[in-house]
Amino acid sequence: MFEIDVSAEKEIILKGRFDASQVEKAAVVFDEVYESRVVNFARLDYISSAGLSVLLKVQKRLKDNGLELKLKNMNNQIREVFKYAGFDMIFEIE
Amino acid sequence: MDKKFKRDISSLDDIFQFIAKFITLNKINEANSFYLNLAVEELFTNLVKYNADVVDPILIDLSKTSDSLVVEITDKSDKPFDINKAAQYDVKQSLEERPIGGVGIHLIKKMFDETKYEFHDKSSKITLVKFLRGTNV
Repeated sequence: MFEIDVSAEKEIILKGRFDASQVEKAAVVFDEVYESRVVNFARLDYISSAGLSVLLKVQKRLKDNGLELKLKNMNNQIREVFKYAGFDMIFEIE
Repeated sequence: MDKKFKRDISSLDDIFQFIAKFITLNKINEANSFYLNLAVEELFTNLVKYNADVVDPILIDLSKTSDSLVVEITDKSDKPFDINKAAQYDVKQSLEERPIGGVGIHLIKKMFDETKYEFHDKSSKITLVKFLRGTNV
């Protein structure tokens, strides 16, 4: 189960499992991001390379305009995935 | 325990349930549970993507010995999919240089101690081994 919501403060909230079968669902929200945003991982349990690719694609598009996604509240395993992938070098992670 | 899965991304939910059952039965810890989910998803989705013309299901076999976790994935196909010959993923590339995709196999190699590949009788077999040491069970 995967959910993606936008809070009143415009934070993007990820919940559940962000796997390859959820890319289209995530893209509905991420494709509409045209300003810097915070992505809150507090309720995300799992992410695979498919989820990483969605985030990378958005980050590339935003950076072209001097904007960015900032990520926060990752669990230990997800933080490890970002580190192993070297994504901790291309995203600001709180 | 093993099970065959239809080669379609929609099989992922069933695959994750299968892995969850293995994790519960074998009391696998949180970190290794994450690695199992990720490795199986990455391999399965790669095989579905790169051998799209094949109709046979993909066999997933999970086992635990006294000192290791073993993932075996068998796929009938004319085309070998050698995990150990996948292009190296450069984690030091800048945002601008980073390709979209290609990081999945790299993650598996970081998380597992051994990655083996065999191709016999038009069948690929990928084996991943994670050694269990101390509290890492």
